[in-house]
Amino acid sequence: MTPPPAMSVAETMRHTPEPPDSQINTDLLGVMYHRPSMGYLLLLGLAVLSVTAAGGTWVYQVYLGLGIGGYTHPIFWGAYIITFVFWVGIAHAGTLISAILYLFRAKWRNAINRGAEAMTVFAVLTAAQFLGIHVGRMWKSYFILPYPNQRGLWVNFKSPLEWDTFAISTYATISIVFFFIGLIPDLAIARDRNRGWRKLVYTALALGWQGTSRQWKSHSRAVLHLSGLATPLVLSVHSVVSWDFAMSIVPGWHATIFAPYFVAGAIFSGFSMVLTFFIPLRRIYGLEAYITDYHFDNIARFILLTGWIVTYGYLSEYFIAWYSAVEPEQTSFWLRAFGPYWISTWVMLFCNCIAPQIFWFKWARTTPWILFSIATLVNIGMWFERYVIIITGLSREYEPAVWGVYTPTWAELSIFAGSFGFFSMLFLLFIKIFPVIAITEIKELAIHDKAHGGAH
Amino acid sequence: MPSLVGVFDTPGPVAAAAKRLKGRGFQDLEIYAPAAFPELDDVILEKPSGVRVWTLVGGLLGVVTGYSMAIWMSLDWPIVVGGKPFASIPPYTIIGFELTILFGGIATLLGLLVVGGLPYGQFGVTDKAYDKRFSAEEFGLVVECRDRDVPEVDALLRAHEAKEVNLVEA
Repeated sequence: MTPPPAMSVAETMRHTPEPPDSQINTDLLGVMYHRPSMGYLLLLGLAVLSVTAAGGTWVYQVYLGLGIGGYTHPIFWGAYIITFVFWVGIAHAGTLISAILYLFRAKWRNAINRGAEAMTVFAVLTAAQFLGIHVGRMWKSYFILPYPNQRGLWVNFKSPLEWDTFAISTYATISIVFFFIGLIPDLAIARDRNRGWRKLVYTALALGWQGTSRQWKSHSRAVLHLSGLATPLVLSVHSVVSWDFAMSIVPGWHATIFAPYFVAGAIFSGFSMVLTFFIPLRRIYGLEAYITDYHFDNIARFILLTGWIVTYGYLSEYFIAWYSAVEPEQTSFWLRAFGPYWISTWVMLFCNCIAPQIFWFKWARTTPWILFSIATLVNIGMWFERYVIIITGLSREYEPAVWGVYTPTWAELSIFAGSFGFFSMLFLLFIKIFPVIAITEIKELAIHDKAHGGAH
Repeated sequence: MPSLVGVFDTPGPVAAAAKRLKGRGFQDLEIYAPAAFPELDDVILEKPSGVRVWTLVGGLLGVVTGYSMAIWMSLDWPIVVGGKPFASIPPYTIIGFELTILFGGIATLLGLLVVGGLPYGQFGVTDKAYDKRFSAEEFGLVVECRDRDVPEVDALLRAHEAKEVNLVEA
């Protein structure tokens, strides 16, 4: 063997060793500095590919029209609306964690709130695209906004679709503001530890943050107020989405329970998506010290709780259908379970009501592969829930002569797959650009422990 | 005037030292903290943060805008349905509510920027007393004082568990 070239001594002496950085910074910024592995690049490539495929399909749809979807009389709300509702629901967990759990002073949220908030922003952005895709003539989507025009027309504020526009755009804006405000101190940490163009970017984004008392004082206030604003907002958004359905007279839609039942379903699916992304993330980047079994345990409890609220929603829908003695309502619910769409209904019931029951056991709540499997089932189940509500509702209205059957086509499935690609792509890029765990919030706990002799 | 920077590991002593210094008439103080700590909130700035006013005004502006926009637009382009009023308050509550949140949230962001003094300083230039240790896990307490007060301040900082005290020339 030949000895290594004689550079080592001189080379190592040239750098004055810097004092060691805090362990938390090293660990959490490490996720960003970690050289992208083959697996990461493969996933990112797959995501970009599916987005590209979906983009191509969408261009084709713009060229040919919505007819390339499976729309058929009387079903003109299809997979795009289902996917829209699905992604809006996913968004809810992030706001719940960052706002509601903040107000409740639930300290365990600190490890997961940044990632979950990012998921909120990305899910809302994904969902918002589906409104445009669904209307077909996307370039006319702005008609829904109240803007002055020479026809002297204004929008109809009594329409749930108009409420939805206000709810979703408010939600998107507030989530981005909330996400950004939380990021500022962490961006300053990244600014202090980077060189070159990265330093420039973080310097610009950190707005000169130095953690002075004036900065922290107004920051804490702003976070508190935004939490206070975001809490009713998150409850309102999915309520408004549910009123898109509940305000109509379609059998199976016009139920007063829709708002709370949709909100619970949103949190249910959102927490599942958090698990779906955080379990691999923790494993790959070795974040076990920050995202512990305790966090997963708590998330699983939330899934169990909201799963029961959703189950209660299903049961009460069936009960009211029977109790109302309204024949179209009863028929609609009978056909949900035993009609042409029976598979989707039973998939929904299995995934959302039965599968999460395993979370009664602590070993299930702390075993990653079980958590991951159940989370995946819940994701599937919640997509099917919207399928059941929208498609079976529309396909079996009052007049049997106009009943129809809708099946999504390849075009809708391609754009649906693209939505997962889009969401994953943003998330994968995010973990390389921004700290995936709120560093200052972790420090708050760590320094607090240090000050009190680590007695926690 | 020179500044002394005491470096601390925990927030409690920072607050105690700052209060003592204020008591002795040193008004030009600054704290650099790696995270938000309630015990440091009122040490330098005693009054409640002005962000609250921004949120309140933004929210009120939002609710007024939401209702008045929906009502005015309905009257400007009436949709005639039976004998029903053109503008109806219950559905417009949703618009009023959403705009309360939207305007309130944006005003809170602006409040943070104005009240918190962000963006701060010149681009890419931090305060002389600032150190990247303060974005790790240490606290800095900066005291501006006259030359003859340096020994007193130094002793006071060390008496409050400052693990080091550095001199920064203004």
